[in-house]
This record gives sequence, C-alpha cells and structure tokens, in this order.
Amino acid sequence: MLVNKKRVKRNKSLDKFFHGFFMAMALLSASFIVIIVLFVFAKGISPFLPGYEYGQVNIISFLTGSLYRQDQGIYGIGFIVINTLVCSFLALLLSFPISVLTALFIAKIAPKKLGAIMQSVVELLASVPSVVYGVFAAGVIAALIKDLASSLGITTFGGSSMLAVIILLAIMIFPTLTSMATTAIKAVDKDLEQASLALGATRTQTNFKIVLAAAKSGIFAGAILGLGRAFGEATAVAMVAGNKLFGPTFDLFDITRTLTSTMLAGLKETSGLDYDIRFSVGLVLIAVIFVSNWVLNYVKKKVGNN
Amino acid sequence: MKREIKDKLLEGITYIASALSVLVLGAILFYLLTNGLHLIDWHLLSSNYYSSTANASVINDYEYVPMSDYSGEGIYSAKWGIAVEDITTSHNEDEISVVYVDPNSPFNHMESTVAGEEGKASSLSEGSLIKNIYYINENGETKFLSRVQMGDAAKLIGILDDQATGIVSCNFQSLGGGIRGSIITTLYLIAVSLLISLPIGIASAVYLHEYAAKSRINALIRQGIDTLTGVPSIVYGLMGVTVLFPITQLVGATSTSILLGGLTLAIILLPTIISSTEEALIVVPQSLRDGSLSLGATKSQTIFKVVLPCAINGILTGVLLGIGRVIGESAALVYTTSTVINDYPNLLSQGTSLSLMIWTIMSGEQPNFELASAISLIILAIVFVINIIVKIIGKRLARSFV
Repeated sequence: MLVNKKRVKRNKSLDKFFHGFFMAMALLSASFIVIIVLFVFAKGISPFLPGYEYGQVNIISFLTGSLYRQDQGIYGIGFIVINTLVCSFLALLLSFPISVLTALFIAKIAPKKLGAIMQSVVELLASVPSVVYGVFAAGVIAALIKDLASSLGITTFGGSSMLAVIILLAIMIFPTLTSMATTAIKAVDKDLEQASLALGATRTQTNFKIVLAAAKSGIFAGAILGLGRAFGEATAVAMVAGNKLFGPTFDLFDITRTLTSTMLAGLKETSGLDYDIRFSVGLVLIAVIFVSNWVLNYVKKKVGNN
Repeated sequence: MKREIKDKLLEGITYIASALSVLVLGAILFYLLTNGLHLIDWHLLSSNYYSSTANASVINDYEYVPMSDYSGEGIYSAKWGIAVEDITTSHNEDEISVVYVDPNSPFNHMESTVAGEEGKASSLSEGSLIKNIYYINENGETKFLSRVQMGDAAKLIGILDDQATGIVSCNFQSLGGGIRGSIITTLYLIAVSLLISLPIGIASAVYLHEYAAKSRINALIRQGIDTLTGVPSIVYGLMGVTVLFPITQLVGATSTSILLGGLTLAIILLPTIISSTEEALIVVPQSLRDGSLSLGATKSQTIFKVVLPCAINGILTGVLLGIGRVIGESAALVYTTSTVINDYPNLLSQGTSLSLMIWTIMSGEQPNFELASAISLIILAIVFVINIIVKIIGKRLARSFV
C-alpha cells in the first residue's frame, strides 16, 4: 500500500495546529472573567487615588455615605448598598415559598400533562427579557401599588416604590428558583420516598417532609443563583425604583435606589467623574454579589452537614 | 380523616402557587396585548422613529385633470384627489393622516421648498400628517389654513371642497414612531455577536470535551467560563467600554457604536454557546470517534468531519438561544451602543436595539407605554418561537443516537 508521506506529515502538523487553536480559544474564553474584574477594578478604583484628574474622592465617605447627588458631585453609596440588599432579600423571601411549592407541584403532585404545561409556563417566564418585565412593572405593578397606597391614604411617586421593586424582582427570579428546585426534587432518590411510604406516611407527607428535605441543597443553590440575579438586574429595576437621593429606604411605599439603577441614572457623558464613579458602583456590585455568594455557600455547607 | 384533610390542604397550596405564575404570565400578555397590539402594523415595522417635516408647493403650471374614483378608507375629496382620516399617533396626539393620494392630484405634483432641496419633486405620501395648507379661494386670494383651523378630517375636506379653487402649498410631516432603525440595529448586533462568539465558543467547547485531560489548568478554565454566567449584564457593559472600545477605535469608531455592542454581546453569549455545544458533544457516541480514528483520520479531522457535524443540533440550539439573548439584552448595551434611537444605523454609528429602544422611550420624561408594549410583543413573539424550536431540537437531540 502506498502511503503519501507528505500528506501524512501535513495532516499531523495541521492536527497540532488545531489542538493549539482549540486550547487558545478555551483559554481566551476563560480569561474574560479575569479581564472583566481587572479592568472594572482599575477604572473603578481610579477616582479614589491621589492625582485623579477630576478631583480625588474620599473612599470612606463614598462607601458609607447616605446622600447621592450627581448634580452636586456628592457620591455616597452606603445607603444604596443597604437598599439593594434589602430589596433583593425581601424579593427572595417572597419568591422562595411560591417557587418551591410550584416546583413540588411540577415534579410530584401535578398530573403528568399539567406538570408539563407548568414547566413550559416557567420556561416562558424565564425567557421574557428584562425590559419587558420593566414595562409590565411600570404599567401594571406600579399602577396597582399607586391605587393600593391611595386607598390607604399614602401618596406615592406614581407607584414607583420599594414595594414595586421587590415584587418585580420576585417575579424575575421566580423561574430561576423554580427550575433549580424542580431539578433538585426530581433528583431525589426514589428509595427514600419508598421507605417513607412503607412506614405509613401518606404521599403528601412524604412530599413535604422527605422529598423537600432531601432536595434542600439543590433548592438552596437555586436561591443563591436567584439572589445574584436580583442584585444584578438593571433596566427593569431602574424603571420603577424612582432613584431616591438619600436613604436608606425602609418604607415600602417610598421610592428607593439600587446599585444598578444608580449606574443607569442620567447617563449622558462618557468621561468625567460622574461617568467613572459608575465603574466604582459596578465594582461594589461585583463585591456584593461575590461576598453574598460566599457567605450563602458557607451557610449552605453548614445546613447541608446537619 | 384529619390527615386526609391536611394532605388535601397542602396539595391545594401547591396548586395555588402554580396558579400564581400562570396568572403573572397571563397578566403580562394581557397588558401588552391590550396596550400594544393595535400599534403593530406594517407602518410600525417599516418607518422611522423620528418624524420629518416637509414643505412643498404645487408646481406653477400644473394642469388639473379629472381624478379617478376612490372607494377606500377615509374621507375622500374628488375635487382634489386626496383621502384623509383622523388618527392618534404613538405620541398620543390627534392628527389628520393621508390615506390615499390620486396620481393626478395636485398634492402629487409638488416641488420642495425646504432649504437646500428647493425645486426637488415632492409629493404627499400616504401616512403623512397634514400640518397646514395655503389655498386660493373664490376671490383669488391666497388663504392660510393652520392645523387648528382644519379641525378634523371631515372639516378639512369640507373647506377644501367648498372654498378652495386651487392649492398653493402644503406643510406635512412624515409619521414617526416606527422601529425600522432598531430592527436593523438588532440584526447588526445578532450578526456581529454570533460571528465572533460562534468560532470561539465552539472551539472552546471542543477543547473542553475532546482534548482537556483532568488537570488543574483545565478545571480552572472550566470554572472561569462557568463564572461568566453569573456576571450581571450591566457589568459586561462596563467591561465593553473599557476593554473593547480601543479595539473598535482601530477600525474607525469615534464613539460607542453598534460594533462595540456586538463585541460585548459576543462575550455575553460565550457561556451559552459553549454549554449547548458541549451538551451536544456529550451525546455523540464514542464509537463514531473510534471508527474515524481507526480509519487513519487525525484527531482534528475526526472533529471537523465526524464529531461536529453530529453536534450540529446543539450548535443550532446555541445560535438560537444566542439570538434570543441578543434581542432581549438591554443593560449591557446602555453603555456600549448608547441610548440614542437611530433611524439610519450602521456598524460604526450609535443606535438602539429593540429592547434598548424600549428602555429609551420608557426612561424619558413621558414614558410611551403603548409603543413599549408593541415592541415588547414583537420581542416576546420572537423569543417564544425560539423557545419552541429549541425544545423541538432538544427532543430530536435526545433521540438522535439511540
């Protein structure tokens, strides 16, 4: 048999080239996360360094401040961080029970056809873009809150309020929570269920006491993911937050201000302190997500061990 | 017995919880349909967002010829060959809109009097809004008819039919409120982001699944890509203006641009493309690879000629999900393509995608709920169709190698 030696050699070098190419692309993909953090850090930290061209900002008053007036050049985001945490956690609190129950319904309780339909509903909700939720929040949720508030004798800013943000976020993280919880519940060992049923527990008792307990780790992972999404949600939240200048806000009917709505508010110039400070806010956002992830994962490990 | 009631109650709660999510989806669709559906027509898709005004006078020696019959919508003036109707624009203003202009109508034989375009042939086109008209009355005097004096469509036609003996000039406005520019921008963004993200994403997935041995570096690579999924899109926007802007400057961009938005989106899409390609690679049976290798093909030949063609469904899923993500993305684009609606976008100009256009018209002084709902409906229709196709592909993928 004749073997074309030249061709074999060429193929071999091509093979080597492609191995290198694939690896380079994978490295490139993975390096973006480093690039993102590095560059946002570099730009976000610059206003606090001496010699900053638009006038150095004090980092302590930036992080602890309770007044944010871009028109006066006062940038304090302490209250904004608190607002973001409060809104996101309350949204999680609202969404968590509903999504776990829905997941249990889809995975265990619903008749097969109905379960499949519900699964599709959750998938559709997951695919609705953030701005569309924003239009819905501004048009429906805010309007309902305005009516509710006025029936209680409270005036609102057209319905834009902390409550609107919380309900909006609860709706937006619902699909994430539900689909993670559904997967976790479906993955529960059948033997556990059988054992519970054999011991005389009813199917409902088994579902609520055994299945949910066994799926707890997966459900918690979904909650962490959902919370991350709530922190980072931008355009929809900005449509109903109202951007209060000071805070923190604890009144449900009062307007509020989150990290993301601050980053989007009144964006006009593409240079200057007002522009650069948005990177600092972004950096704080990354830090908030990272720290909360870390803390919650730690809690999850502790809970899982018990 | 008590146990049974308690069980039924607990089950009932799960039904209620599920009903809530159906209710939310229903409420969203109901709100958007009642507010936006009536705006969706060919005009919305094909016209500019900004209206432009034109001033034109009837050609001096224009000879009046009889008009043909017209029996369509609107109020028709047989004398002047023009049909008009009352409309409410997407900016919520009552206007008189042109529905039909006869080929022989004087309104079809005008020349522009707009500075810089004097003498250029102009005509009143269908969909335009009439702002004011100069006409000649029975006594031969030139009369001015302002928008307020016209009242509504019926009154305008009445005045023209009863009092006018000739038309001098007309000021009209093309009807704005369209989304053509944003549709083009969205297509640009889809093209640029997929063009960049597909090769990088597919190659990364191939490396992770076909080459990567278990090592610390490979675990790190995988973790890096997984972490990208959790980064909020607004942070991608910040990265885009700092890291990618200099790259677009190399090809001549002077400000944020659609190209910059596309590049930023390419990075946002990477995790999606990688994971859907990898899921498809996992399904490809090892025996196919072994068969190809044992016939003497090199590893890269096997990948290009055997493995990737088998994974085409997964890649297609990645493309579709990517398109959905691009259409829905807004926060990252606020920083990278700017929020200025552009009727004539090109790669190096600023512009808004459909989603970003919603953000722009909603965050202004007077939010335009109706137009926002109409665009939302269009976006949802596309995204839902994509969802269904992806599901069908997924079912086929699960069956393909059984």
